[in-house]
Amino acid sequence: MMPSAADFQPLAIDFGVLALILSLILGDLLLGAKSGKILGLSAGLSLLVLLAATFNLNLNGSAFSGAYVGDAWSTFFKRLFLLSGGLAILGGLDHVSRHYPHRQTEFYLMVLSSVLGMTLLPGARDLILLVVCFELMGVPLFVLAAYAKTDDSQGRLRHAPEAALKLYLVGVASTALMLFGLSWIYGMSGTTSIDRLMAAANSPMITAGGVLVLAGLAFKIGAVPFHFWVADTYEGSNTPFVAFLAVAPKLAGFVALAAVLQRGLNASDLQRPMLIAMAAASIVIGNVLAITQTNVKRLLAFSGVGHIGLILLAFIPGDAPSMTMLLFYGAAYVVTNIGAFLVVEAIEDAEGDCSLQAFEGLIHRSPALAFAMLVFLLSLAGIPFVIGFWAKLYVFLAAWQAGLTWLVALGAVAAVVGLFYYMQVARAMFMKPARAEAAALPHRLGLTFAIAICLAGVIVLGVFPAPLLDQAERAAASFVLGPRQIAAF
Amino acid sequence: MNALPLLGIIVAAPAIAGVLLLLLPSRARLLVRFTALLGAAIALSGSVVVAVRYDRLLGGFQMEERYPLVPKLGIFLRLAVDGWGVSLLLLTGIIIFAGVLATWTLKTREKEFFIYLLLLVAGVLGVFVSQDLFVFFLFYEIAVLPMYLLIGIWGSSHAVTEAGPFRYVWKVLDIGGREYAAMKLTLMLLVGSAFILVAMFALYVAAGSTSFDLEHLASVKYDRSLQLWAFPALWLGFGSLAGVFPFHTWSPDGHASAPTAVSMLHAGVLMKLGAFGIMRVGMVLLPEGAREWAPLVGGIAVVNVVYGALSAMSQKDLKYIIAYSSVSHMGIVMLGAATLTPMGWNGAVYQMFAHGIMTGLFFALVGLVYERAHTRHIPSMGGFAKIMPGVAAFFTLACLSSLGLPGTAGFVAELLVFVGAYQSAHSWWALPAILGAFITAVYVLRAVKTIFWGPGPAEKFVDLSDAKKTEWGALWILGAALVVFGVWPDLVLSFIDRATPDYLSAVLGGSK
Repeated sequence: MMPSAADFQPLAIDFGVLALILSLILGDLLLGAKSGKILGLSAGLSLLVLLAATFNLNLNGSAFSGAYVGDAWSTFFKRLFLLSGGLAILGGLDHVSRHYPHRQTEFYLMVLSSVLGMTLLPGARDLILLVVCFELMGVPLFVLAAYAKTDDSQGRLRHAPEAALKLYLVGVASTALMLFGLSWIYGMSGTTSIDRLMAAANSPMITAGGVLVLAGLAFKIGAVPFHFWVADTYEGSNTPFVAFLAVAPKLAGFVALAAVLQRGLNASDLQRPMLIAMAAASIVIGNVLAITQTNVKRLLAFSGVGHIGLILLAFIPGDAPSMTMLLFYGAAYVVTNIGAFLVVEAIEDAEGDCSLQAFEGLIHRSPALAFAMLVFLLSLAGIPFVIGFWAKLYVFLAAWQAGLTWLVALGAVAAVVGLFYYMQVARAMFMKPARAEAAALPHRLGLTFAIAICLAGVIVLGVFPAPLLDQAERAAASFVLGPRQIAAF
Repeated sequence: MNALPLLGIIVAAPAIAGVLLLLLPSRARLLVRFTALLGAAIALSGSVVVAVRYDRLLGGFQMEERYPLVPKLGIFLRLAVDGWGVSLLLLTGIIIFAGVLATWTLKTREKEFFIYLLLLVAGVLGVFVSQDLFVFFLFYEIAVLPMYLLIGIWGSSHAVTEAGPFRYVWKVLDIGGREYAAMKLTLMLLVGSAFILVAMFALYVAAGSTSFDLEHLASVKYDRSLQLWAFPALWLGFGSLAGVFPFHTWSPDGHASAPTAVSMLHAGVLMKLGAFGIMRVGMVLLPEGAREWAPLVGGIAVVNVVYGALSAMSQKDLKYIIAYSSVSHMGIVMLGAATLTPMGWNGAVYQMFAHGIMTGLFFALVGLVYERAHTRHIPSMGGFAKIMPGVAAFFTLACLSSLGLPGTAGFVAELLVFVGAYQSAHSWWALPAILGAFITAVYVLRAVKTIFWGPGPAEKFVDLSDAKKTEWGALWILGAALVVFGVWPDLVLSFIDRATPDYLSAVLGGSK
């Protein structure tokens, strides 16, 4: 069947990203390597323009015989991915132009390719399309992780190849695992359409396939016990990329998990205990290992593992309220974590490292930056009137209503532990004197702009969470099938 | 005039003043101070207006305001005051106004200090007027958190004496005395918050997941099993802030390390939030749980009273004495609450008020003495009355109120609680409570004697001065309040008494 014009309506944004990629290649050819910063700036701003466009375009519809669907769910995630990409590019402008002056455009191209895979992903209703999108999202990340190579002029980031290799090996192995599981699912159900899997979802082979998919995706999202690459990769890679890596691919992993497990297989009895165990272990181990970290990137990495555990809680009930929570948490995670990592980038840019010592006395050197970091930390810790509070609250509420009382108690204790290590950073920034040789921080426009957006998001949505909650609820309702719809398949 | 959102203004004024401070340059030191004072003044004068406008004949909740926050989950910013709210608002207003005056001479990073301080006060005021459990919790958290920075940055240093497994963590992270105190306080209170959060969800879900409104939650009859586990969760959660034994250990360290205004606010008002939470949320929403657990609550409160007093007696550090005396006095509040009698409850709330003012005065004075003498070690002081007669007079006044001398606010409160305890089902509670008051007399009089009236002053202290300018303001406000509310307790007690029967009948309703 030939695709018709109507097929392209839900894909409008993705074509926009594709056009951006092509024009960036062209721009690089015509303008040369020197104009990399301009190209990056326009790429980052274009992503934000596309983000604004999602609010004005009608992206609903179905394309390619139902293999691709545009609805509130996919639009919500498209916005998150566009925002993450835009913030990472804008936040990385100065880093890229200073450290890789001769290969700037390629950096943005890689980010954009990954973003394209991501924006396509949430609409995919076919297993093959899902895998293709997921790999389009994942492969550029390997390149970006290794981007610093070893020839960095100032001798830092020499661990980039190690970081990239870890990410690569884990990524490839987990893809293989996921594909293996999907092959079982396809073999037993005879269909690659996610919506039709439900009808055949009773065989043990399909359950086993689901377990393999879950394990494969758990590597990607860095849930315990598949988390060991996270801290090393974050530490070794360049920070603007880490800001992206810590957020967007994780969310993409959750999207895939939601598509296969929730909508496809409706989390069977075997996967549910696995999910509970993984969530609980991630919450505990992530938060405990973060306590003694002295490198802020590693600290945020382990705290991220703990957050992943909280998000995983959504899949245990898997109903509309818990998917709402997933979406809300996702949005909170984007603005908070990217913001926090970009502050780390600002420090690393000036100091050359991102240990706790580098943060000492930040309040005297750059009060605005210290304040921003404090807000991000409070949001990560889940303190009222910043967005992270509502996110954590919805997790607990959804889990409580699903009867997972003990996990709520565990999460509440973990939140206190979390506050302890977030306070370590706050303590360094506010209570320690600045190092004698430490100068004022250099001003970086792109970075400042990106951090300001994150800060505004964290505070505004923290004070008025209702609109975002509305959006998330609508998106979840469009994704989670009601009992009647399930019967129809 | 009805349209004026008075309660909203009271809560928002300090927060807005804080935001304004953010915009001021930190070089404008006088402007910074006056902005902070203005925020505090609006809160204080607003509270006075609320007290004047509150119709005591009508009773109940008045001056209601309602703003949607997250309507989907049934969360509304509903503000209203009843008799308890009026009196505690008044207390907070007085303390913050005096607190800003008392820290007028702060010299390091004042702008930041006042920002956190005002934020904290906005949280405290919010707790006292919010009628939605969720908003209550929000404000409660806001009131607890700035404390970390306030103590960690402006606190006074001392060595950490911690032993055991935590010693390793402190060593690895290189944590000093005030940071240790700040961290201990924050973490202990947040563990408490976790308990509150869990109990709050349990109530919300059990009440049909439609609304966090306190009135709605109070109208539901909860299962006995839920009541029996949720009440202790709330008791321990709020109790960690109220200094309930054995979760009081953050309080001596925290209060001793904190700067003057923060100690004033924390011991004077914040600990009351905990007791207020136990009574307003724990007991009123979970009457059956409250009745079942009352013997333990009262028993622990008695331990608080006596243990706190004995600990205070063995201290040589002036701030630790006052801090432990707060633990002891908060025990009296909890004891009053546990009696479940009108007298006891009136006494508990009045003790919150009286002790708040008294301990505020104490910490203001200790701050003054420490700032001049640079020591808090009591044996090395002596004869200070000759060089700072004003401070000595006010200190003696605070001491007299602390030990419950008739004519001071402390007397009224303690008398009410003792009578309430005697009338309750556990009359024996009155005995150790009175013993506590006796021990209090021993340690405060001994401290006063040594510091102010003993031989001396030593040569290095001869040049010390008395209180100055704004400090006088703080001392006079607090000292006058102690006497006025001691001689004429009805000024506040009439408000408290208007609300107590309603709450108490809710708690006792089922048993009669």
